[in-house]
Parts: sequence; C-alpha cells; structure tokens
Amino acid sequence: MSLPSRVTLSPAGAARRNPRALGHKLQRPGLYFALPALALFAIFFAYPLASSFWQSMTKTVGGETVFVGLDQYARLFLDPLIGKSLFNAGILLVVQVPLMMSLAVVLAYLLNQSWLRFRGGFRVLHFLPAVTTLVAYSVVFRVMLATDGGAVNQLIGLLGIAPVDWLNNETWARVALIASITWRWTGYNMVIILAGLQAIPEELYEAARLDGAGRRAIFFRIVIPQLRPVLLFTSITSTIGALQLFDENFILTGGGPSDATLTPVLYLYKVGFRQFDFGYASAIGWMIVALTAVIAFVQFRLTREKP
Amino acid sequence: MPSRKLPVPIAAMAIAALLAGCAGGSAGAPAAPIDPQADVSGEITVWSWDVAATALKRLGSEYESSHPGTKITVVDVGYDNAYDKLSVGFKAGSGLPDIVSIETDRAPGYITEFPKGFADLTPVIGDKQADFDPSKWSASSNGDGQILVAPWDSGTVGLFYRSDYLAAAGIDPASLSTWDDLVVAGEKIKSTTGHTLMSIDVSSGATFSMMLQQQGEGLFNSDGEITVSSPRAVKALTLLKGMNDKGLIKNVKGWDGRVTATKDGDSAVHPEAVWWTGTLTGEMPELAQKFGVTELPGFTASGARTSNNGGSGLAIPSQAKNPNLAASFVAWTLADTTNQVSMMKTEGLFPSYLPALADPYFQQPDPYFSGEKVYELFATETAKIPSISYTSDNAKAQDMVANAVVASVINGADPQKTLDDVANQIANATGRKIAN
Amino acid sequence: MTRSQDATRLGASLRHAPIYLVLLVGSIISLIPFLWMVVASTHRTSDLFGTPLPVLPGGELLTNLARLQEDVNFGRVMINSLAVAIVYTAFSSIVSIMAGYGLAKFSFRGRNVAFGLILVTMMIPMQVLLVPLFQMMASIGWIDSYQAVILPFVASAFGIFLMRQSFLDFPDSLIESARIDGANEFRTFYRIVLPVAKPQIAALIIYTFMTQWNSFIWPLLMLNTEDNYTVPVALNTMIGLSRVDYSGLMLGSLLATLPLLILFLIFQRQFIAGLLGGAVKG
Repeated sequence: MSLPSRVTLSPAGAARRNPRALGHKLQRPGLYFALPALALFAIFFAYPLASSFWQSMTKTVGGETVFVGLDQYARLFLDPLIGKSLFNAGILLVVQVPLMMSLAVVLAYLLNQSWLRFRGGFRVLHFLPAVTTLVAYSVVFRVMLATDGGAVNQLIGLLGIAPVDWLNNETWARVALIASITWRWTGYNMVIILAGLQAIPEELYEAARLDGAGRRAIFFRIVIPQLRPVLLFTSITSTIGALQLFDENFILTGGGPSDATLTPVLYLYKVGFRQFDFGYASAIGWMIVALTAVIAFVQFRLTREKP
Repeated sequence: MPSRKLPVPIAAMAIAALLAGCAGGSAGAPAAPIDPQADVSGEITVWSWDVAATALKRLGSEYESSHPGTKITVVDVGYDNAYDKLSVGFKAGSGLPDIVSIETDRAPGYITEFPKGFADLTPVIGDKQADFDPSKWSASSNGDGQILVAPWDSGTVGLFYRSDYLAAAGIDPASLSTWDDLVVAGEKIKSTTGHTLMSIDVSSGATFSMMLQQQGEGLFNSDGEITVSSPRAVKALTLLKGMNDKGLIKNVKGWDGRVTATKDGDSAVHPEAVWWTGTLTGEMPELAQKFGVTELPGFTASGARTSNNGGSGLAIPSQAKNPNLAASFVAWTLADTTNQVSMMKTEGLFPSYLPALADPYFQQPDPYFSGEKVYELFATETAKIPSISYTSDNAKAQDMVANAVVASVINGADPQKTLDDVANQIANATGRKIAN
Repeated sequence: MTRSQDATRLGASLRHAPIYLVLLVGSIISLIPFLWMVVASTHRTSDLFGTPLPVLPGGELLTNLARLQEDVNFGRVMINSLAVAIVYTAFSSIVSIMAGYGLAKFSFRGRNVAFGLILVTMMIPMQVLLVPLFQMMASIGWIDSYQAVILPFVASAFGIFLMRQSFLDFPDSLIESARIDGANEFRTFYRIVLPVAKPQIAALIIYTFMTQWNSFIWPLLMLNTEDNYTVPVALNTMIGLSRVDYSGLMLGSLLATLPLLILFLIFQRQFIAGLLGGAVKG
C-alpha cells in the first residue's frame, strides 16, 4: 500500500522540487494532455484578451478611437466609485467568503459521514439553491426581502423585531446581499469539497484513530490538510466570485442604495454598457485581474507554507 | 478524440477573424443615405421586445401582403438585456439587424456615443416633424438636427388617483392644480384614511427626473452644461423631501414594488405614464372603477401639467443590409394613423404620432376608469410634453443623481447642498461646466 | 434486523440529533425559495402581487404551461438547451480532465506560464471580452449558430483548475508502477487515473453542464432566431417593459431546474461516503 506522496501546491517549481516523482523524459506527454485546452484558449482568447488590453489604453471621442496611453488607469486612482466598489468587495472577501467556506466544509464533512441517514436527500436539498435559475432567484429574494409583508420581516416580527428596510438601507442591503450570496453558493462549494473528501484514503483515518485521535483532531489534522488543493480551489474561485460579483447585486439592489453594494464588475458593466466608456471599463477589468492575481498568489503561497 | 482534431481549421478561421476584427474598427462605416423613393424588396430583420414585438409581428405580415416580394422577420430579444445586444453590436460594428427598438430615455446615449452607427431618417420622416410628440423628436435627434430614431409610443405622464380615497378626504381631483395643493391634500388623505400619498421607488430617481422634465429641464442644458443644481432641480428635490418628511411617501423597490403597493391600495395617487393603464387593467382588474386620471399638478399655476416617462422608437443601424426596405417599413408602421391606432387598440402602445391621437378611439369612455375618457386626456397632453437636452454623459450623471435623491429624500440631506455636491461630482467626472 | 441493533442505531441517532437538526434547518432554508416557485407557477401573475401572498399551490398550472409553450415555444427551447449543454459538457469535460492531469502530474516547458494564463482567463471579467469575442464570431460568420455558443468556452479555466487540484494528490507511485508495467501514458491515464478520480469528475460534469445550462449573456448575444434560443434567453423575453409574466417565468424556471436535479442525482452516486482507498488499495 502506498499513500500519496507529498505534493507541492505551488504552480511554480513543483517539478524542480520533486523531480523524482515523474522523470525528465516524461515531460512531453504532459504537453499533449494540455494541448487541446491550450490551443482552444489561444484561438478564442488571445485576440479578445489582447483587444481588451489595447482598448484599456484608448478612449472614444465622437465615435473615433484615440490612444491615450495609461490615462484610463490613472483615472482609477481618482475615481471615488472604484474605492467604494473595492471596499464593498473587500467586505465580501473578509466576511462572506470565510462564512461560506466554513459552512461548505462543515456541511460537506457532515454529508460524507457513513452513519448519516437520508444522506442523499440532504445532499440534494443543500444543492438546490445552486440549480435555481437567476430569474427565479431574483423574484424570490425580492419577495422575501420586501420591507412590508416580506417573509423575512414577518419571521423576525414573530421574535418581536421591527421590520428591516433590507434593500434601502446601506448596512442592511449589505447584510442581505451577503446572506443571499451565501444561500446561493454554499451548496455549490459543498459539492466540490464533498468530491475532494472522497479522495482521502480511509487508511489515514484508521491510522489516526489507532493513534487515539478524537474527532476534532481527525478533522483538523487529517481532513483539512488533505483537502488543501480543493480548499485552495474553492477559495480562489470564491475570491474571484466576490471581486467579480455581478448577478446578485445587479438583480437585488442594482448596486445601491448609495453604491453600498456596488462591486467592481457591476461598476465596470455600468461604465461600459450603460455609459459606453469601453476604454475605462477595460482598464477596470485589468485592474480586477491584477488584484485577483495578487490575492490568488498569496493564497497559493499560504497553502504551500503549511506543513 | 474529436476535440483534438478541431484546432487546425479553427485556427485558420481565427486568424482570419483576427485580421478582420482588427481592421473592423468600432464605429462602423458611414452608410449610404436612405432613398425613400427606392423600390423595396428582399427581407429585413427587426429586434424588439414584449408587446412591441407582438405589434411588429402582426403589422409585419400585413406589410408583406401589401408589398409583394418583401419579408419582415421580427425577433423578440427580450427587454433590458436587449441593450447588451445593442451595445455590443454597435461597438463591434457588426451583428445588428435592419431595425432595432430603443427606448426614448436611452436613445440619446446611443446617438451621442455611436454617431455613425445610425442611418439618418430625415429623408424618410423629416418632413413630418410637426406630427410627432416634440419631446420625443428632440430626444431622437442628433446635434445636427438629423432624426435617427423614429418616435413610436409616448410615455405621457398623468396623475392616476384613487377616487374613493380622495372622496373620503373630501378632495376634488380638479382642485389639484399645483404640487403644493397635492401635498396639502396628501396630509388630509393621510389623516382621514391613513394612506400615504404616493408609492414610488426613490432610489431609481425616476420621479425626480420626471419632475425635472416637467419643468423643461434635463440634467444638462443645450450648451452641455450641468443643470442638476439649478433652482428648478432644487425645487423638485425639496418637494420630494418635504413629502417624505411628512410621511406621504411609501418607498418601494422596482416595478414589482409599485404594482404590489398599488394593488394593496397603499397610496392615493400615482404620477405615472399612460402605459400604467395597461398595468392597472392587466394586474388589478379587481380595482376597476376605483381609479381616475387627471393632469399632473404643475410646479407653478401656469406650468406644464405633464411630463414623459418611457416610450420608445425604431432605429435603422448603419449596418443594416436592406436600409431602404427598413425605412419603408418604419414609415409605414409609425407615420401612419391607421397602424398607430391599431397598435393602441391591440397592444396598448400609445402613439407619439399626433394625427393618430385625433382618432375617435381616443375619445371613448373607459369603463375601468368609471367611464372617464382617460385617453383623451393623455392625447391632449402628449403635444405639450416639455423637451429637454441630452449629452453623452447622461447615463453617468443619472446614476449620481439617483444617489443624491436617496441622500436627500431618505437620509435627510439638504437638497441645495446635495445637488451642489452632485453637480461638482459630475463636473469632475465629465469635465463639463456647471451652468450658472 | 435484531432488537439490539435497532437500539444501537437509535442511540446513535439520538447522539447525532443536533446534527440532524442543523441539516434539517439548512434543508428548509434551501427549500423555501424552491417551494415558492412551485406556488408561484401554479397561480396567475396578478395573484402574486399584493398581500398576503399565496402559500399553497393554486390551480393554474396547466394554463401557465400552455402559455409558456405558446409564448416562448418552451418544449423547443428545452431541447435546444439540452443539446447545447450535452455537447458542451462532453467536449469541455474531456478537455478539462486532460489538461488538469497534464498540468498536475507532468512538468513541461512553459507549464507554469500556461497555467498562469489559464487562470487569467478566469480572472478577467467576461464583460470586457464580449465585444472582441463578438467581433471574432461575426467575422467568421458564426453569429446565430450553436458552435459560436459552445466552442469559445470549451476550454474552461474553472474546469481545468478544478481537475488540476483534484489530480495533485493522486499518488505518483500508481502512475509509475503502470509505466513499469509498460502501459503508455494515455492508457495509464484511462485505466489507472480516471477510475480513481470518479467523484471529482462527477463534480466537474455537474458544474460544466450547469454552467452551460444557465449561461445567459453569451447565448443572448449569439442567438438571433427565436427558434434557436436556449431556455434562459427564451425566459428572458417574458420580462417585458411594463408587464412581467411571473407565473410563466417561475414555471419555466422550475422546469429548467429539473434536468440539473436529475443530473445531480445521477452523478452524486459517485460520491460514496467514506470511500475506501479505491485503486490505491487494489
């Protein structure tokens, strides 16, 4: 029996560090495996990516495109709405992403227990929000969050709490947004983590139990470390999801009230598609790429440095 | 493995695309002018939405039978996201059909941003300017006086009111000649019936914009200077804030919120466009005979008693493959009394073509409104809608103004100061001057 | 089953009662909006405004269904959507699994750059790519075609990244022993690697299908014929300027979630609780 060898998670240098894993002569098959994907990306994304980058250095004057160098990027620093949208995305990153990730890990762990009855049923139910179409989602949440007679306010009314103006108050609109994103995406992440849990060999649990480890110890010393690649994946995609949040706030609040739920991509959309400032919109897009890349890089580093 | 075979032919096509795409430019080539005398034949595609698409499908087949050798294909592209399709098509310089629907409020943005994107309709309907709703005509024209979007339906605004609530408070709707009168009446209604005066979505800024246009003012003046801090704007915002401070406004979210509040009978009056009649009869038939309609209260005793909210038109992109047939169909549909009246009767689209409004259909009493001749009222008001100026920065300014409205009406900020601040913000963001 | 077994089970269940309670609450929170869709799709739209809202199903299901078919040709667009999503899922999953494996288990020149660029396509907001991608499709003459809906996104950064992470922990020793046995790389991949990765592949298939099934903005831009619409694009036409057919929309949405649920039920069978070492053992 062999257990997984220690695998580094860094995108850089994995092979350098671990040359014995797969010998030098086995480099080319890797390229063959990746080739269809790389070819498709080259065909369909090289031009759009290059074009949007070029676009970010231009502006339109009376229907004519003019090269302006880095002017659009300079605008980013002076635009209060960029600051505000980044602040809002920051709140999501600090509050919503950890909340959702913890919920998803706990749910996945519970739903992976062999003693659990109705396991399949619970899994389907918790996955339901992820399959709800956007149209249904928007209608349902607006109905539930209505100030007068909305289901949520009726419920908290039973506890003697006064009605909350969910979508018109800056703080509550943020709370409502966080809750509704969490509702929609927790089950989604849960399933990815559940799939990752399946890959943990039973032997690891057995060995830990023989060492007298309790449930808590098993969870933190076996499950979490083994899940690292998958957790890294879900945290990076959730980070991207938070920075690129668009659907939920577009539908629920339109970015309001007073831009309290404006996110960078919603702002980008307004700038590009409502105000037709495509040059500036592209600059915002590449700013988002830079920010996401930095955060993702940090996440890669953090997971690698753990024992 | 089929996926591994794909790249080669596609790569060739992609390279072709790349070259073509780079050469394509963004604004589109200037189109040959439309020739209204040309013989029409062939086919065209039209993008529209909702009941407008239904109307065009119906009229399309009529047109085909009276113009042999033509084919009109109408595609319902959905509302709202249709604009993503339009924006991408105009920006990419390709992919648009022969005719597109555009709402009047959005038209100026597209016209100023894609000046070469539209075919000039002056040869087609230019001689009929006097026959159209003047506010719509000015919003659909560019700075050179070319008409680029043919006006279709109007969003003429009136004051819908609950006659039972007004009666209970002893108020004669005919006495509501100014907004100040309405506020006084609102307080009386609130104290006698407990209902608020209006249910509006404050955060959309739509009511504020409507009040501005009623005073003949937009966010910018005809010189392109910022007018959001003008005395008229301050007057409108002070009015709204005063209403909210007195507890006369119920703040609701979106169209659904307004429908729900109306259906629940939350408020006594609804300053809404003529198409609101369709919402009332469609969603709340049980409220028949509870509503009446009168002119909008004026800001001054002699001021305009109406405004505009919504309405749309048809445009021919310069990419159109068959612009002459498109032009013929647009003129046949919109600059024509019979067809405009038929769209009013069948699909509830209220004409901006004034000769159509003289049709006896608009003189009919309406049973839903207790036999009032509501369409006659709207027909009379349509020609009186004040025109306003637009710039390429309207969409940007609109968002900032909507935030200012919330800041003042909901959060209690001083109207003059709020509007001064937002005027400065707009000036910073656009480089435009603030009007004196 | 004997009595004592029953008793043990009961004891275990009692001990786990708080956990069941948590899962039950979670299930209810997940289910309520869904139930509301059922209620809404069986009423008239005008019943869905006003207070109080209906909480029990109404009797308008068949009327709404007939209108849905009449207004947006719902049967047709469901078939369109299924075809597009199945073809897309087949191609995209294969591409993602292969690329994920190649990136996780081999080192080749430019691998890290390639992986980085793939991640960038995921980090850049779709909105800034729409216009140039649209120009490309227009120049090839692919507007209003399904290949334009499907092909640009067959290589999915999300899918590749997911598979890469899944394969990272795959034991190298297994691959090596297969090589020693003389199997070529693709055979090793097909026979040894794929069977072990079943749960992750199941998750990939669910998500790939879901992504295409719910994809809205790109099909909206590409498709110009009502008969070619996919479900989200078709449902969108029911949201009008001054009238929204909510009951039709809710019914359409409800029916649109069914294929996803069926898919989930089929593929979640690959998620077996506490999966034993799998191929590692055997």
